[in-house]
Amino acid sequence: MKEFKYVITDEVGIHARPAGLLVKAAKGFGSTVMICKGEKSAKATSLTKLMGLGVVKGDEVTVQVEGADEDAACAALEEFFKANF
Amino acid sequence: MALDYRKCAEEIVANIGGRENVVSAAHCATRLRLVIKDNSKLNKAALEEIDGVKGMFDNAGQLQLIIGTGTVNKVYDEFLAVTGMTAATKDEVKAAAAAKQPVWKRLLKALGDVFVPILPAIVASGLMMGLVEALGKAIPNFATTDWYGFLDMIANTAFAYLPVIVAISAARVFGGNIFLGAVVGLAMIHSALLNAWSVGSAEIEYWRLLFFNVRKVGYQGHVIPVVIAVWLMCQIEKWLHKHVPEMLDLFIVPLCTVLATTFLTFTIIGPIFAQLETWVLAGAKVLVRNPIGAGLMGALYPWTVVMGLHHMYNVIEAGMLAEGALNTWMPIATAANIAQFGACLAVGLKAKNNKTKVVAVPSSMSAALGITEPAIFGVNMRFLKPMIAGTVGGAVGALVGAFMKLGAKAYGVTGIPGYLIIDKPVPYTFLLLISAGIAFALTWFMWKEDEPAKAAAAPAAPAAPAGAETLEAKAAELPAYPDTSDVVNTTVIGCSAGELGQVTKGNVIPYTKLPDPLFSQGTMGIGVGVEPEEGVVYAPCDGEITSVADSKHAIGIEGPEEMDILIHVGVDTVEMKGDGFKPFVEEGDKVTKGQKILEFDISKIKAAGHPDTVVFLLTNSDDYEDVTFTGQE
Repeated sequence: MKEFKYVITDEVGIHARPAGLLVKAAKGFGSTVMICKGEKSAKATSLTKLMGLGVVKGDEVTVQVEGADEDAACAALEEFFKANF
Repeated sequence: MALDYRKCAEEIVANIGGRENVVSAAHCATRLRLVIKDNSKLNKAALEEIDGVKGMFDNAGQLQLIIGTGTVNKVYDEFLAVTGMTAATKDEVKAAAAAKQPVWKRLLKALGDVFVPILPAIVASGLMMGLVEALGKAIPNFATTDWYGFLDMIANTAFAYLPVIVAISAARVFGGNIFLGAVVGLAMIHSALLNAWSVGSAEIEYWRLLFFNVRKVGYQGHVIPVVIAVWLMCQIEKWLHKHVPEMLDLFIVPLCTVLATTFLTFTIIGPIFAQLETWVLAGAKVLVRNPIGAGLMGALYPWTVVMGLHHMYNVIEAGMLAEGALNTWMPIATAANIAQFGACLAVGLKAKNNKTKVVAVPSSMSAALGITEPAIFGVNMRFLKPMIAGTVGGAVGALVGAFMKLGAKAYGVTGIPGYLIIDKPVPYTFLLLISAGIAFALTWFMWKEDEPAKAAAAPAAPAAPAGAETLEAKAAELPAYPDTSDVVNTTVIGCSAGELGQVTKGNVIPYTKLPDPLFSQGTMGIGVGVEPEEGVVYAPCDGEITSVADSKHAIGIEGPEEMDILIHVGVDTVEMKGDGFKPFVEEGDKVTKGQKILEFDISKIKAAGHPDTVVFLLTNSDDYEDVTFTGQE
């Protein structure tokens, strides 16, 4: 499993619009992608659960990637977070 | 920090009575779902204490342990390792849970599952058929008009070809190909066969197939034989799919399925029912000779309708009239039918569940006019107790009718239109009142709305003290909307996992026409938008709230089969930071279909310069194969 931490700088956090893009990005990989904030975690492929994390600006999230293509997925998602969140 | 999955799994196994006490195991996003053999071996208190188990409930033979997203799958893997079990799918767990119910309950459930989807086709038809036929009797001149012919044909189409509709629905319920189901249904009423309603007035021909003499008689108006035939078809089809090489599948499977099913139907299932029908007819002829027998017949009558054995009754009626006597069969049939009306009406008036109500009321009207199929199959049989109440009402009514020596001068109508042919209208009124009255009263007192409705009511009560005041205060600021609504009875999104109802009143547009490319391109899933007329959102299905956005304008719901549903009010409304939105639920709340979950202020959204369309999407639509939605092209 690979993971990285990221502090959200986007004004609206992981919400509908950026969250939808994240789901799309996460579905592009065979690996399972989990987004964790504190005690809570959600599969990056479930939009409403992602939104349920309530990630807002300033929150630190941990992105966990597990599966065959985890190296590529982890790198791509880190880029994605930097670009969108 | 990290949970010891192995330890957690071991403790669970220790407190559920060990491996021997587990029928099967599966997990969903958050829960470990176990089917337990003997619930008395569970140590529930200890289960709740296990580190990693956040909650527990026991539902319809299934023990559910809430463990959490991302961890449940790991605990599950360890659970399998500890017990040495193999993974079960959720369907297997569900099936095993269902298998714990008594056989008659499962049969009733299967019958209900088959009939509920076809109610729209038969409820209105039944009502119209009753009206048209009554008008035809009341105004003899009308019966010869072109309009009568046309209306009569349209009204009875659903009933004349009922086996086809039933076959399609049954194929869907039992997991077969619905088109093959349709073929089996069509074969059973093929025009090369004698119409079942004409048996007794025409000569029956036979085919000689192997050792069987096959009657060339159709199954018009039959239900049970069709359901059995299609169930059989689905078993044959599934077996063939497994054993036939894929290359030959398309050729061999449909052909063999249909051939084997229809052969067995016409040689075995059919004759059994034909024999039953003959016995019922012979029995009925004996029974109607004395009042006690008439009473018994009044009780049996609806059950013969269920079995599809009521086709030859008009032979009895015609026979009586031919001998110059009054038709004393008609009051018996009327008592039985009007009792179904009473029972069904009681359900309609007592039910709080809107779905039940909207079916039961028109079905009861149709029964009052003598067409009882919608009431029996759509309502009374499903809940069973109304059916028993109807049986008692029918028996008493038929007994009373026989003592009053009621009789009809013709045949073909019962119930309210029966006034047209009855000899003594005043005692007839008494018969109607007593049959319907008894069935109504018994249903009213015996029948209670079933568990889902109760379960929904129960959690609502204890939840109230916690946030009731603030919610009430919130609600006071906006126009009063009802707490539940029937707007959700209109299905706008459907798939194999279930149906989702319209979430707010207004014009529905497909997601492709939503005013934001993110929604209209399907990035967020497939669904619809509603241009709201009222600022209120209702739950589209039963489910659990998975998220309420801090800015209150979006709500996530997990519906049946892990449907991940997003309701997003307006576009770019996140910028309003909650102003104008009032949610009535919190994350983790259970909701029932039609329950009010959010109010919003349309004028504030417009004032902020955003589109007010309520976006309603199945976000994981690509997990299902057959997603449909309103406005689909």
